[in-house]
Parts: sequence; C-alpha cells; structure tokens
Amino acid sequence: MAHCISAQDGESMSTAPEFDLRTALEARGVSRRKFLKFCSVMAATMALPSRYSRVIAQSLEKTKRPVMVWLEFQDCTGNTEAMLRVSDPGIAEIVLEVLSLEYHETIMAGSGTHAQDALDRVMKDYDGKFIAVVEGSIPMGDGGVYCTIGGRTALDIAREVLPKAAAVFAVGACAWDGGIVGAGINPTGAVGVEQAVPGIKHLVNLGGCPHNPQNTAAALVHYLTFGELPALDQFNRPLFAYGNLIHEQCERRAHYDAGRYVEEWGDEGARKGWCLYKMGCKGPESTFNCPVVRYNDATSWPIKAGHGCIGCAAPKFWDTRSPFYNRLPKVPGFGVDVKAEEIGWTAVGLVAAATVVQVGANMVRDKVRPPDKPTPPENLDSLQ
Amino acid sequence: MSAAHTSHAVPLGKENAYDQVRVYIWELPVRVAHWMMVASICTLSITGYYMHAPYIDADRYGDWVMGDMRFIHILSAYAFAICIAMRIFWFFFGNRYVAIDQYVPTTKERFRGIFKVATYYSFLRWRPVSYIGHNPLAGLSYFGIYMLALVEIFTGFDLYSQTLSTPWIRAAFGWVQPLISIQYVREIHFCIMFVFWIFFLQHIYTAALVSIEEESGLMDSIFSGYKFIPKAELDEETRASQ
Repeated sequence: MAHCISAQDGESMSTAPEFDLRTALEARGVSRRKFLKFCSVMAATMALPSRYSRVIAQSLEKTKRPVMVWLEFQDCTGNTEAMLRVSDPGIAEIVLEVLSLEYHETIMAGSGTHAQDALDRVMKDYDGKFIAVVEGSIPMGDGGVYCTIGGRTALDIAREVLPKAAAVFAVGACAWDGGIVGAGINPTGAVGVEQAVPGIKHLVNLGGCPHNPQNTAAALVHYLTFGELPALDQFNRPLFAYGNLIHEQCERRAHYDAGRYVEEWGDEGARKGWCLYKMGCKGPESTFNCPVVRYNDATSWPIKAGHGCIGCAAPKFWDTRSPFYNRLPKVPGFGVDVKAEEIGWTAVGLVAAATVVQVGANMVRDKVRPPDKPTPPENLDSLQ
Repeated sequence: MSAAHTSHAVPLGKENAYDQVRVYIWELPVRVAHWMMVASICTLSITGYYMHAPYIDADRYGDWVMGDMRFIHILSAYAFAICIAMRIFWFFFGNRYVAIDQYVPTTKERFRGIFKVATYYSFLRWRPVSYIGHNPLAGLSYFGIYMLALVEIFTGFDLYSQTLSTPWIRAAFGWVQPLISIQYVREIHFCIMFVFWIFFLQHIYTAALVSIEEESGLMDSIFSGYKFIPKAELDEETRASQ
C-alpha cells in the first residue's frame, strides 16, 4: 500500500502544522470535487442536513492529522479488506490522509521490532490523544494464549493500548462481541473489546461482518468534526447506522406487506425479487443501515443480491440469528432440525388425542358409576 | 357481595328437583372480558400464525395480506391487553368468585382442593367436587394462563418496539435486547400460542364435563352470569365465608 507509513521513519510521527490536506489529497489523485463528495456522503450517512457537508469539509481541512493505530486480534482481516477495497474515490484514501495511521499490521511496511517500536512510540508520545481501531476478538481462555503478537497476548496488548486512546472504534462483529470466534462453544473464550477491556470511556462498536467502511468513516469523521462520538444505542453502536430495522428500509418491503414471498430458491418469486421472509431473512429482527448505505461503493447488499439477511450487525448473530434459513432459532433441548412449530403442533395433537380419550373414559365412568343417594324423587318430597 | 346471593337467589319452585338456587356468579365485566379474550386469542392466533409462516397465496395486484394481518394482530393485541388488564383489576375489585384467592390458593382447604379435583379429572373419583365459583385446580390453571398472557403481552410489545421505536417504548423495552435476543423473544411469543391452544382444548372439555355432571348450568353461566347451586352448598359456603 502506497499510503501506509514506514514505521522506521520517525518523521511521519510528527503532526506537522503546515500539513495541507488539499495538497496531500491532490497528490494522491483525490480532487477537491471528490473530497467534497466524500464530505456530503459522510453527512448523509450520519443523517445530518446537507449544510453539514461544508462543516465537515472545513473541519477536516483544519484537522491536525490525529494519530491512529489499528489493532488486529482474532480476525480474518475482513474489516481491513472492506476498508481498503472500496474503489475510487476511496474512503480509505481520504480517511488515511486525514488521519495519520501509525500502526496497522496488515498494511504497514515495518515489521518485527520496528513495528512494535511504532506502537510504543504512539503510546508514549500521544498518550490519551490517539485513536485506536480494533479488529477481531480477544481470547480470554487459558490466559489468552490463543492469540499472541510478538510473544504478548492480545488481551495484554489491548489492556495496555486501549485505555491510553482518546477513542476506541471496535470494528466488525468480532471486536464488538466476539463474532464467529466467540460463537457456539467458544473454545478460546473470545470476547469483544467492551468485555476484555472494561471501562473504556469513548468506545464505539461498529458491528457487522464485515463492518461497513462508510459507517466507520462517518463515525471517525463525526469524532473529528464535532470532537465527540456520535449518539450511541444500548450496545454503544452509532444510532445513525444501527437505529433502524433493515426491514423498514428494505427495497422488498412492499412484497412483504402484500404477502408475496419466495417459497424456494430459484422459484418464480425469487426471480421476481419477492420478499425473502420465508427463506429465513433476518431483516425484520436486525437493525442496520445496510439497505441504504450498501456495500462496495453502494453497489449492492445481500437482499438486493437475492439472499436473506443473516443479521450480521445484530448482537451475537452467529448464535441468535441461526439457523439462517429458518424464521425461529432452535428450541433448547431439542434436536437441531426440530422446529418450534413441529413441537407445538405435536403437543397440541397429543393433548387433542388425550381429550378424546378423556371423553371416552367419562362415558365409561358414567356407565359404571354407582347411583347417587338421595335420589331425585325423595328430594322432591322434602321440598314441600 | 354476600347480599347479592339473597337478592339474586331465585328459588325455581317444584320443578327444581335438586333444590338449587340461581346465583349470580360472573359479573358483566368478567363475561365481557372472557368473550373478548376468546375472540382476540382466535384472531391473534390466526393472524400470528400467518405472520410466522404466511399460508395465503397473494399474487394479485393490490393484495395487502401481510399488512392486513399485522394490522388485525396489533389491533387484537391491544384488545387482548385491555381484557387482561380488566381481569387483573377485577381480581381485586370484583365479587368474591373472581377474587385473587380463587386463583391462587391461599387456604389449606383450597390447596387440598386442587388434588381432590385432580383425582376427579384423572378418573379416581366418581363425582366432581363441587364449588360455587372456580374449582381450585381450574382457578390455578387460569392464573397460569393469565401469567402466560402477561408474557405474551410483554414479548409482543417488545417485538412491536422494534418497529415503533418511540422514546417511551425504547425506555420500556430497550433493556430486554442485551439480556435476551429478540429471536428468542419471538420464539417464546410463538410457543406460548400453542399453550393457549392446549388450554383451549382442555378448558372446553372440562367445562362441558363439569357442566353435565354437576347440572349447575356452568356452560350457560359464562353467557348469563348465573349458576344453579344446591341450596345446602350455598348456605354452607356463605357461612364459611362470613
């Protein structure tokens, strides 16, 4: 990557006051027009009025290149890929020019002790001032031995670096709540940043598998523009991205309300783009701005591509949103392939059968029952 | 409400072979709530099952099946919630046959009654144990159903909060999500429906059975409010309650 910083080069650490974002971006082939377009997209993502794009542009130009470190733990590098693979005008190009990325294992030129030195320098020189981005879960099991970098556990690194950061952005499902690494039996005891390093004051969780780089960029831009984190929900996720149901923003919503559903893959409904509700789409139970922001430069997103949502931005989605092709999760105590409705109908059927037996048994009881005393005629006399 | 017994107790004359008196048991709000609950549970089940697994083909222009189903479901849900609230209010402010102690056994007598009635239902007794209002087992089962109804209302509004998303509903239900996944909330909401269906089967069966066996007009009483109780039993009950 051309725009990554050489760790050996101590000069890159300085936030030169004469830094000129416009020149720097133009040197990278990002025109003024593209930059303003980016600012408009950011304002739109944060659901701010259009006049804010100017505010964003002005404050980004004034910014003094805050230092950022990007930590990777138990991950698949998917979030880094999502950030870097967006095409021109690259969100990454602008974000990486606005911020001074001093440490990122995947894309930094330096390695070994040089890389380590870069991280140490950031912690020393910019204590309480740098921005940390975390990707991947942190294993807590067996003293954290399942993920070590340079001989130190991920837990150790996270607990040293993150409390020193001005703001922490946990990107992707893994860094938020353990993701796929923390799913099921969770053999490594993987957890998200929030659980591994409790007490981080300025934490933003940007769930999703992978995160949406546009949302992450918007959260960073919000921090740079207004000096504070965007409004967060109960999971510390930005409300602008995670505040609304996917179902409410879905382009196939009209088919849902009308009652037109895909019954099986490749049927008429699937070809016509009907609602994927019956195929187990988790859009009705997951919040994200996926249908609006979309992926890969707003090219497409899962439902547009004809596959139901798996709720990748939902809490613990591997556990709570599976099976991905059924409406409801598996009932605890029953087999994986037993559906809730099968259990329900079986129970109702058994009770219905039992009721029929009870009715029969009552007929028998009525036949064999010894007669009551006193009998009605005697009673009649006593009335008088 | 003991005065109600005398004022409403109408001796039916000679043709009443069992010396029964007509007693006003179920007051109007109780009966209205009962039938509103029946109606709303029916519509909630029919529409709710569609919302789980759409079973109607809708491929004509202008169809709005899910939209209508959801509308009826939400409307019925409010009716159901109002019924349950009304009944819970009546637990404390109704007559003595619908007081809370008729549902949750508070006396040893009532508690032992549960097993006595159970022996009748399990064919270990020839004749039903008669009670003027609910028998203790029935009362307890209704209490269970009311509790499940509260769970249904809570989970239902929690699911609804996903789309409503107003500040007050967020405050009321926002704390549920981190504790229990919305998918399990949905599963609980769905599974309890089957418990209602099971209850429905056994409720009809036991009501019909006891109505026939006791000849007390039990089935009619949920329409009229009146039951026919042997005079001796009523006197004893009135004495015991004073």
